[in-house]
Amino acid sequence: MKVRVKLHGVFRRGRFKEEIRDYPAGTRVVDVVRELGFSDQLLGTVIINDMHADIEQELKDGDCLMLLPLLDGG
Amino acid sequence: MKILTTDPAREPRKIFYKRAVVDLKSGAVTYEDVPCRNLEDVLGGFGRSFQDLAARHITRAYCDENPLIVNTGLLTGSRAMTGMRTYFSGYSPIKAPQKGAPTAIWSAASGKFGAKFKWTGLDELVFENRAEKPVYVVIREGRSGPLVEIKSAEHLRGLFTHDKIMRLQKEYADAHFAAIGPAGENWEEVLMGAIACSTENQLRSGEDKSRFAGRGGMGSLMGYKNVLALVAQSKDKLAAPSDEVKRVNLNVIKGGGSLRLQPVNRGGGGGTWGAYDVMQPFHAVPVNNFRPQGNDLPEKLFRENVEKDYHIKSEACFRCGITCHNNIHERNADGSAGRFLAKFDYEPLNLLGTNLGIHDAGQAAALIHLCDNFGMDAISLGVTLSYLLSYNARHPEKPLLNGATFGDFPKIKELVERTGRGQYPEIGQGSMRLAQSTGEPAYAYQVKGLELAAYQPETNPGYAWAIAGGHMSMGTYGMLIREGKTDLDSWVQAITDDKLQIVGFDMIGLCKFFDIAKGIGTEMVRTCLRSEHGLEVSAADLRTAVRRAFLRGLVLELRQGYTREEYTLPAEMFDDPNPHLKVPRIGTREFFQELSERVWAVFEEELDEFLQEVGAAE
Ligand code: SF4
Repeated sequence: MKVRVKLHGVFRRGRFKEEIRDYPAGTRVVDVVRELGFSDQLLGTVIINDMHADIEQELKDGDCLMLLPLLDGG
Repeated sequence: MKILTTDPAREPRKIFYKRAVVDLKSGAVTYEDVPCRNLEDVLGGFGRSFQDLAARHITRAYCDENPLIVNTGLLTGSRAMTGMRTYFSGYSPIKAPQKGAPTAIWSAASGKFGAKFKWTGLDELVFENRAEKPVYVVIREGRSGPLVEIKSAEHLRGLFTHDKIMRLQKEYADAHFAAIGPAGENWEEVLMGAIACSTENQLRSGEDKSRFAGRGGMGSLMGYKNVLALVAQSKDKLAAPSDEVKRVNLNVIKGGGSLRLQPVNRGGGGGTWGAYDVMQPFHAVPVNNFRPQGNDLPEKLFRENVEKDYHIKSEACFRCGITCHNNIHERNADGSAGRFLAKFDYEPLNLLGTNLGIHDAGQAAALIHLCDNFGMDAISLGVTLSYLLSYNARHPEKPLLNGATFGDFPKIKELVERTGRGQYPEIGQGSMRLAQSTGEPAYAYQVKGLELAAYQPETNPGYAWAIAGGHMSMGTYGMLIREGKTDLDSWVQAITDDKLQIVGFDMIGLCKFFDIAKGIGTEMVRTCLRSEHGLEVSAADLRTAVRRAFLRGLVLELRQGYTREEYTLPAEMFDDPNPHLKVPRIGTREFFQELSERVWAVFEEELDEFLQEVGAAE
């Protein structure tokens, strides 16, 4: 299946901003995160098709997945 | 501290803190070992100072009876990572109800002043009355305890914060410094004065890399008292950490809490500056007085774009492995760091950059640098300036002051300079008063008289109950964007319980980055208390103490004259919602009204006890 993956902030370093990527059926967000090599601890927000989602959520063909680093004020 | 128990929650009176009271009028200094009343007293910071402030009935911020309290937290100067904090408390010149008396406030700074202060043997310094002539105050360790001396500060008059610190460094070896700038000296015209605390890096490099106690105008109160600087002189007193504290410190650096703040080259998110990248996809980065335009202009201040032209150094306070400061330097031809320009923390950068229509890193750095050197709260200054620019954009036929509008760097720079010198009291008095004078309060981005930090109010109704300004005292700022929370139950729970725990860090002496996700009621804090002070405190007792301190702060607001209607958000957010914000709209009047009723219903059950305590019961 094809998933549009959008990365933000430091996740883009050495990776990409936006790509359509191929994944087998049953792929979860956490699998994408592992494949891309981020620390789960730095992952703050997961958005699928403009809705907040969970790292365990399964992706579907045609989904748009957005991954953002943690947001905490300073 | 003199600690004669292992159980501070049940036997607080067996713990004594060392307090010095300085009568600036007579020059007399008295020292006492004061028994703690409760766990809040033991923890320190605002948990203690608010109890003392509650005992005074202050109707004007600038009066002899309003004290300036300088204190530390139980873990300041300890071996626990981030144990650097100093707290400045008093009745605020800037935070006040629409009609009524000034409100109790605290302000916290890192750097190394707090640890040095603690190592002199003093836990708290209270300034009473005011000095006739400008003074600075030296706190040192004497043979049999701390000594406090008052000295003439004629030679420091008018100097920038950094220059005062550099001057004093020549006279005092092994010392750290807290100083106000020209803004604090012009306290009548500038209510948003900040206090700069020196860092090791600053003293070593000679670059103006102070950390600031900004919120609430404590620098102006210090200026009113005619105290231009503090010197804390003592040897460093840090033995090697115990194995338990070592493990905690490692966890603070490597664990989840601080990872986002770690330098990018260590796999972290690169300090609070990274908030730009997280909020921009939602068009939630404040632009032009909190009115994002749905374009990509904020991206100009993304790190990846700034580092094309500037050298960025990630640096830290003394011994702190979080390394949260992102300092911007000019870049030399060989790529090395040139002249230091400014720190890029998210709030100063946004509020003195993008939110003023300034999208150039060099210009934003120049404004931050000026603000720091004049010694002003970057949040209050930035938000008041953006209000003025917005007013001028709406009234081109009768603009205020120099007629500056968004993006006009030379004119905005002039506004900052003249405000710091006391020549523009319209700005120096903050956005609430400026909006009262124009009669257009709807787009003044303040809550209860204190300017909002750089998070859109549309994303955070919790701001209304924050007792010391936005996210610093109501940790609900990320709930909508980060967690997607839109339901009332979650918001009521967060505001009345979990998220208010963030203020605990302003009691104990640690930065909130120590364990930002969980507050101070964690195993890590308990381990440090046990190892550093031999104290056994349960997580539940810590949470209760923090909650009590918060509720005391809330009733102190009510006692000083706030009405329930003032626990609200800027009207523009309700009445003219920004179409560009890509977040679910919880900022409706209906949502807020229901939230308000439910939040007060929860708080009311507990407020009576505190209303009695602060003398506000009917
Ligand atoms: S977290 Fe940041 S501000 Fe706090 S002590 Fe560490 S470097 Fe300093």
